[in-house]
Amino acid sequence: MISDFTYLRPGSAKEALQMLSKHQEDGKIICGGQSLLIIMRQGLVTPEYMIDIKRLDELSYIRFDQKKGLRIGATTTHRAIEKSALIKDKYPVLVEMEEKLASIQVRNWGTIGGNLAHADAAGDPAPVLTAMGGSVKVASASGERVIPLDEFYTDLFETAMNHDEMIVEVIVPPRPPKSGTKYQKFNLLDSDQGIVAVAATITLNGRTCKDARIVLGNAATITMRAKEAEKVLIGAALSDAVFEKAGEAAAAECQPVADIHASEEYGRHLIKILTKRMAKAAWEQAKISG
Amino acid sequence: MERQLIRLNVNNQDYEIYINPKTLLVEAIRDHIGLTGTKRGCDTVSCGVCTVIVDNMAVKGCSVLAVQTEGKKILTVEGLEVDGKLQPIQKAFLDEGAFQCGFCTSGMLMSATAFLKESKKPTEKQIRDGIEGNICRCTGYNSIVRAIDAVAKGKYTEDK
Amino acid sequence: MNKYTVINPHEPFRVLNTHVHNVDGWAKVTGRATYTFDVKLPGMLYGKILRSPHPHAKIKNIDFSKAMELDGVKAVVTGKDTLGVKQGIWRRYKDLCDEAILPVDKVRYIGEPVAAVAAVTEEIAEKAIDLIEVDYEVLPAVFEPLDAIKKDAPEIHEGFERNINVTRHIEWGDVDEGFEEADYIREDWFRCGGQAHMCMETRCAVSSYTPDKKLTIYHSNQSPYYMQGLMAGVLGMREGDIRVIGPYTGGGFGGKFELDGAIFCSTILSMKCYRPVKIVFTREEDFIATKRRTPMFYYSRTGVKKDGTFCAREAKVFTNGGAYTGMGATALYLTGFFHSFPYVWKGYRYDGYRVYTNTLPSTSMRGFGAPQAMWCSEQQIEWIAADLGLDPIEMRRKNAHQEGTILPGQATIASCGIGQCFDEIKKWIKSKGKLRANRSIGISACGFMSGGIFNWFDTPYSFSSAVVTINQDGTVELHVGAQDIGQGSNTTMAIICAETLGVKVEDIKVHSGDTDHCPPDLGAWGSRQTLMTGNATKMAAEDAKKQLLEFAYAQSGLNIVYDLDIKDRWVHAVARPERGYDFGELVKKALRGKDGQKIVGRGYYTPHRKGMISPAYSYMLQGVEVEVDEETGKITLVDSMTAHDCGQPINHLGLIGQLEGAFSMAAGYGYLEYMPYEDGKLMNPNLVDYKMIRAPEMPPANIAEIDTYEPEGPYGAKEAGEGLTNPTAAAIGNALFHRFGVQMKECPIRPEMVVNALKEKAQKK
Repeated sequence: MISDFTYLRPGSAKEALQMLSKHQEDGKIICGGQSLLIIMRQGLVTPEYMIDIKRLDELSYIRFDQKKGLRIGATTTHRAIEKSALIKDKYPVLVEMEEKLASIQVRNWGTIGGNLAHADAAGDPAPVLTAMGGSVKVASASGERVIPLDEFYTDLFETAMNHDEMIVEVIVPPRPPKSGTKYQKFNLLDSDQGIVAVAATITLNGRTCKDARIVLGNAATITMRAKEAEKVLIGAALSDAVFEKAGEAAAAECQPVADIHASEEYGRHLIKILTKRMAKAAWEQAKISG
Repeated sequence: MERQLIRLNVNNQDYEIYINPKTLLVEAIRDHIGLTGTKRGCDTVSCGVCTVIVDNMAVKGCSVLAVQTEGKKILTVEGLEVDGKLQPIQKAFLDEGAFQCGFCTSGMLMSATAFLKESKKPTEKQIRDGIEGNICRCTGYNSIVRAIDAVAKGKYTEDK
Repeated sequence: MNKYTVINPHEPFRVLNTHVHNVDGWAKVTGRATYTFDVKLPGMLYGKILRSPHPHAKIKNIDFSKAMELDGVKAVVTGKDTLGVKQGIWRRYKDLCDEAILPVDKVRYIGEPVAAVAAVTEEIAEKAIDLIEVDYEVLPAVFEPLDAIKKDAPEIHEGFERNINVTRHIEWGDVDEGFEEADYIREDWFRCGGQAHMCMETRCAVSSYTPDKKLTIYHSNQSPYYMQGLMAGVLGMREGDIRVIGPYTGGGFGGKFELDGAIFCSTILSMKCYRPVKIVFTREEDFIATKRRTPMFYYSRTGVKKDGTFCAREAKVFTNGGAYTGMGATALYLTGFFHSFPYVWKGYRYDGYRVYTNTLPSTSMRGFGAPQAMWCSEQQIEWIAADLGLDPIEMRRKNAHQEGTILPGQATIASCGIGQCFDEIKKWIKSKGKLRANRSIGISACGFMSGGIFNWFDTPYSFSSAVVTINQDGTVELHVGAQDIGQGSNTTMAIICAETLGVKVEDIKVHSGDTDHCPPDLGAWGSRQTLMTGNATKMAAEDAKKQLLEFAYAQSGLNIVYDLDIKDRWVHAVARPERGYDFGELVKKALRGKDGQKIVGRGYYTPHRKGMISPAYSYMLQGVEVEVDEETGKITLVDSMTAHDCGQPINHLGLIGQLEGAFSMAAGYGYLEYMPYEDGKLMNPNLVDYKMIRAPEMPPANIAEIDTYEPEGPYGAKEAGEGLTNPTAAAIGNALFHRFGVQMKECPIRPEMVVNALKEKAQKK
């Protein structure tokens, strides 16, 4: 059963942050609640004060400019991102990822900020955004800071935010030319979270790989960069053999936790296959991108 | 715990209810307003039998706080028919036998209704993805897909 | 999307097998249908159940004083309130009535009800549960049947040596001689998983016991009559003082025709405080505390001639019965029987052992032991065909049942369309042409019963009964005890009644789901209602028709050689159909002739001398096109074909729905619905981790309906919807065998298993 709480509805982001500052760990932000209400029902989270930011339209936006890149307000719904022509044009992998996230009903109400704050290692957006060098802007009553997603997750379901901070914006830098990002999760049912998942970005310089980011989902307690796999790719003349090797590296360095869906061995095996495939797919996209 | 008075607009009718703020939308609709067409089937936002439409969007009533829907237009299965006349999707469900035990049907109809409003000429794949959030244990989905496809293709008019 | 063809179509009927809307459709598509889940009675309390956290433990003491002190709590019950009365659905065999819901002395599985609370709100009831203190003495537990039968295994039920709950033996012909004649013998071990019914409506009940010692129960179930009888037995009450109402029911699939914690605890609570009590299981409770499909270990040894003629088969099965018997005894028998299907054997022998373990009890689930049987048999047969270099379809056809086949001591096959099923599957495979490189087709054959002849419930009543009453305006009341759980039995009975009486479905009002107003009927299980209640309905309608025609004959003054009939509400001379009477007008006149008494027709059916299993058998062939990602092992179903003989289809929309629905559940058993236990604990009691087919996973379901005529069935009809739950898992396994040569011995097939099988095969090379 969900425990009782005092419901607060701030009229602005500023007011929300003041409430957070006042209540600290007794307060919890709710927006779409698609993940939060489940864990509250299980009694894992029992806040005294619920600060509802669902109506803060000032935090719901999708903006892009050539210099700053993409900025998505924290209360933007998954569905808005999925249906954004702008994002489909500039960062199509985000649309692809959203199309497979949970169900339409969840995407209609759940938000990108809420998803990232929930810090589920199996969540879809984090690996993709990390692969694109994304960051989150978090704010408190006393100021703002930008945290790269690489550093945002600290442990299972835990982030680098303080109790008085909340995500206000998601930032994705402009994509370099000759760069591609692809994401795939391995699941039994189409829109399930991944048993494991891989997001890969390949940036080319001529025919060589200038930069690579391989980000693994649900292959450790937090979203993790497969740095050994990246080393295999960076500077290499890409080929099937190289992708195969990158896959093996990712499989060796990841730390999947065995569960009923996959043994540790199989989890590594899947990471190997997905890394190989996504690195190649990202490369294919990079080759034709401007 | 202090209850608060909220006003919900359900099927074009305003209701004033006095609820604990942790009340879910599906609980407000079923227990406080008394419309039991919307069901509940799980605790993990998985099954979709609680699907209703809020401001033209299909949402799962088990994962939305009722207080969050103040001032919004909520549509439940009871609001589909107008003056005793069925909507095309309801007629299509009858014609295709797109239900068996019926427990998922309310939620399925709401997902289908929202989907049809947003989709022009959907493919079969798109229809299947459109109802992906709703589990049906009885039908195997194909009759439901046929019903939605028939409506999408304009086989029903509202006043037939 | 799907292709639907009919082979050997019978002459069309007026109502039968036409496009008739489900008679409950309006209620269901408008949200008006009320389920037990929706029932609210004045003064109603909410109940919650405290469950055992241990797989095996003695109950030393239960202290619920703190719970009683909580404001709003009205009653708490434990085993002491039930005097440890044990019950079971196999009423005729007292030793199999081994379950005291609310045990007195010990608990035998994690999730077993131990106490229950009724309070003014659900939240208070939940808080009260947490305040009940139970003193357990944990006992050693055992979880696998092959461990439980060991000499030193903990004893789960007193008096059951080696924890063997039930044994069954089936034998016919000469098995040893058969093996001697065989040119080739193969033996294999298989492991069949469990499965959750996963009804969309979880178990729920509202019980109201009043001071005049009468009990009214609303319960989501497959047989109100069974519930009435079982509750009367455990409470020591008269059946007539108990009313069971089965409102619209949100699915059953074999899991809802026994007593469950909801009906039992809500009743005992109500008896304590004289107020209605509602208990609704959460989805998690539905997973951990309602019985499941029986997991089985199968050993099968099969001997054939080199030309593919089947000689002998010998099977030994150990089933994981879990903590209590439930319907497990029947599943044990039926799995052994259907492991022979649909083939003729010179000799066949089966020995089944149902073993108690400290896990969730196993019971019936759609297919009733046959999905497990076919998983093993149909794959082994495919492997034998490959070993001998024979065509797997023709080898099956050579040995298949035919009309007139006798299974000695067990059954006589009176109708069988399997030959044409083979033809249709071959046509489909041919039409598919060359498949993509990562796809392959698997097929599997099966047959199934149309209801059982068994009376382990020990009822003195006809298995099915029906009453047809004609109102003065020609509308008709049809009272049946058949329970509509979504399969459409209300519609099927209305169709049969309308066809027989010569009226339209919209003239018929079906009454079901209330023991106060409906005749007893064994209910919806074993795919029995179309044949059995259908026969009762047809008989009742014929009785009413005969009575009405008596007046018509008198009215018409027809020469004795001429016949009257009724079609489309028109009572007419068959030879001169333009001469006749309006049905409604004739009925009114008939009333006057009967002193104002309505015409009432009665019908009933109980199978007699129909062998050991069923009066009739359906037949089907399942073909499935499967895509496998060789690197990850992921299975995707791409296309399917079902060739199906159910005699004479009655409810056209219902039939398609049953075949498509059965496929989705059967395919789930084959590759998705994994239900792992660890130390007696279910690891995935939720819909995130328990995987089921959703719309994107369901392939097209092409259907070829083969019409035959079953003499025992109403208009020649037999079952549809449970038989098709049986072959699909094996068909998926066979698709993998065809592409990779791997032999999958365990179901459900998970991608990791595919990868491991491929790795093993590569290493062997």
